[in-house]
Amino acid sequence: MNKKAFAGLFLLIIIGAAALRFFDLGLRPMHHDEANQAVKFGALLEKGEYRYDRADHHGPSLYYLSLPFARVLGADRLAELNERTIRLVPAFFGLGAVVLLLLYVPLIGKERALWGALGLALSPVLVYFSRFYIQETLLLFFLTGFVAAVWRYKRNPSWTWAVTAGFFAGMMYATKETSVIAFGSIAAALLLGSLLRRKTRGDRPALGKLGRKDTGPEDMDLEKPARSEQIQEEASGAKGARRRFRADILMGLGTAILVSILLYTSFFKNPRGFIDSILSFKVYSVRAAEAGFHVQPRSYYLRKLAFSKTGSGPLWSEGLILILAAAGIAAALRARSRKEDRSFLIFLSFYTLVSTAAYSLIPYKTPWNILPFYLGFILLAGTGATALLHTFRSRVIRAAVFLLLAAGFLHLGAQASRAGWNYAADPRNPYVYSQTSPGFLKLVRRVEDMAAVHPDRENMFTQVIAGPYETWPLPWYLRRFGRVGYWTRADAAPPPGDASVLITDTEQASRLESILNTYYQSEYYELRPGVFLVLHVRNDLWDEYLKSRSGK
Amino acid sequence: MKKSVVLLIAASAFIGILVSARQALAQEAGKEELKVQLPKPMFIGTPRNISSPNLEKITGKPRGAIFVSAGTKLVSLNKPVTASDMQPVIGEVGLVTDGEKAGEDGYFVELGPGKQYVQIDLKTAQALQAILVWHYHSQARVYRDVVVQVSDDKDFVNGVTTLFNNDHDNSSGLGIGKEKEYIETFEGKYVDPRGTKARYIRLWSNGNTSNDMNHYVEVEVYATPAQ
Repeated sequence: MNKKAFAGLFLLIIIGAAALRFFDLGLRPMHHDEANQAVKFGALLEKGEYRYDRADHHGPSLYYLSLPFARVLGADRLAELNERTIRLVPAFFGLGAVVLLLLYVPLIGKERALWGALGLALSPVLVYFSRFYIQETLLLFFLTGFVAAVWRYKRNPSWTWAVTAGFFAGMMYATKETSVIAFGSIAAALLLGSLLRRKTRGDRPALGKLGRKDTGPEDMDLEKPARSEQIQEEASGAKGARRRFRADILMGLGTAILVSILLYTSFFKNPRGFIDSILSFKVYSVRAAEAGFHVQPRSYYLRKLAFSKTGSGPLWSEGLILILAAAGIAAALRARSRKEDRSFLIFLSFYTLVSTAAYSLIPYKTPWNILPFYLGFILLAGTGATALLHTFRSRVIRAAVFLLLAAGFLHLGAQASRAGWNYAADPRNPYVYSQTSPGFLKLVRRVEDMAAVHPDRENMFTQVIAGPYETWPLPWYLRRFGRVGYWTRADAAPPPGDASVLITDTEQASRLESILNTYYQSEYYELRPGVFLVLHVRNDLWDEYLKSRSGK
Repeated sequence: MKKSVVLLIAASAFIGILVSARQALAQEAGKEELKVQLPKPMFIGTPRNISSPNLEKITGKPRGAIFVSAGTKLVSLNKPVTASDMQPVIGEVGLVTDGEKAGEDGYFVELGPGKQYVQIDLKTAQALQAILVWHYHSQARVYRDVVVQVSDDKDFVNGVTTLFNNDHDNSSGLGIGKEKEYIETFEGKYVDPRGTKARYIRLWSNGNTSNDMNHYVEVEVYATPAQ
């Protein structure tokens, strides 16, 4: 494939990926987690306050990387942010992950990179979470960069690739502490790849030719004794290479640690932050294993990707990616593959298998945790698609295979569009998880309607009395209201009669039943399927509201 | 020039005095506004994803016994049903009186979005003793603007009696209702017709908390013969 054709096709993929990521970002109501993250970011934006919380919310990169987006769009306060502004951050990094596949071209070739980029651009799960203000898409972006940088270094050792890999690694860790699962999977895949290589060679490898392009330290046998001058020269060269390798590793590690420390300590304002990030492993390891809300069977992720249909909803499947990835693994193991391609593809196969197994074995599962291991599937799917096309000599059969692949990827794109738009908040979408119902926005509108007729307008006193799981995303939607208080229990809150508007969960509503029946007009709103909030409007304000409506 | 500057200063001073006076009047002597620090919301992780219906606690208590006049019978079974939307999105209007009250797919009719009604013709006027309505109960929902009316006029122009109305903001335009909203359950909603005599029963709704559609699994009307 010539450069121009590659550039044109890659550009088309980028345009498609952007279209699926950047349009109508405000369409879906804010998820509980998104609202949490956005309000936390609001504190950083308004007051420069961020303090790492080892108990929840993962790393700081999402918040710090949101700052330039908010500033460019002219938002200085939480109240000035909107759903579109904050979701631009994951959308940007989701698109960035596709662009980063350019780094893979020397590793896997143009054709495989193109198919892989197409998979990244059109995968429904990746599109869905690129429109979702949480850390996972950022993690995917940095992981994509890290794997590429490590392998570019292996092919062509230089301090720039070492530092780049260190930067991406540091950002991965600063995005999610649980990125250690991805690091562990990468290390295991490198080890397994190396063992397999040695086994297939049948004996210990020959001394590497130093200075040769595309030769990494893993190809060097550094222990073989010198038996001639030539070997001695090579051995002394090997020593130099080993020193350079150590220096590069130190630079990479140093960069990773520096980046992590900078972000976790809030640029040295919270020195404990980095240590807390390490202590958080205990929190997350307990949460990962304990029986709780989010425990799912081991097959959860693969079943979700392979086939999903709920009630009268449509069929969802990313089976094409899974099948092509299996073909990719088979291609990686084929003896005919070029050595350079093969070692990377074998690494990728091991990474995909190990990381999928690791994430599947952890009882705690949520759909967004698919992203880190799914990167491997998609890259392998690119390899599988290429291999499939080149299996057949007949042009007619090749054209038929190409058309089938094109139809399959088109179907993925159609599902991605469905996931991002019509089914963005619909529980029949397999990636919708604890999503706020669209009907919740009617509650927000009602509160705004009440503020419009209240003498204090947006400073009307509003009480929210609801459990923490029923409170969010209210703080995001009520961010422009000046006097909103949040209590989790009615007996801890001031007498409800003081508030013009009261929002409770159903349990607290039943505790306050007698007062609410006398002084308030109540309405139910669906927060999430099966979970309700009750909006109570004091009778005097309700009468004002009805008067204002009858006047129209 | 000087004159306009003087005027501007005078106007500013006047406005300043007015604003300060207003603030001063607002404060009683020796008192000032209490600035209450309101509690912030607690940050907490992802909530449970509810995949099965009715897992969340619904505080509605079980309905007690319904007492009716002796000789009361179910009079709505298989009676003709009409609707404001005679081309339902799912199912058919006959499902409303077919005697099947299961919550699964296949047992309910879905009418289009917004304000819609179903109407049951009892064939003769009866003394109504109880009306039970099941909109949808495979998932907890609240239907908006539920209004139950009865009449002997099939067009509901004359002699209309409203038995239940929870449209408290009159968004359906049938008058402001005083009844409370309720969460759908398998028990159905009981409406007391207080012995009202009528041939036709019309039930309105205006979407629900999950979507804008209107659903009916079953409506049961119990009555005694009209005297």
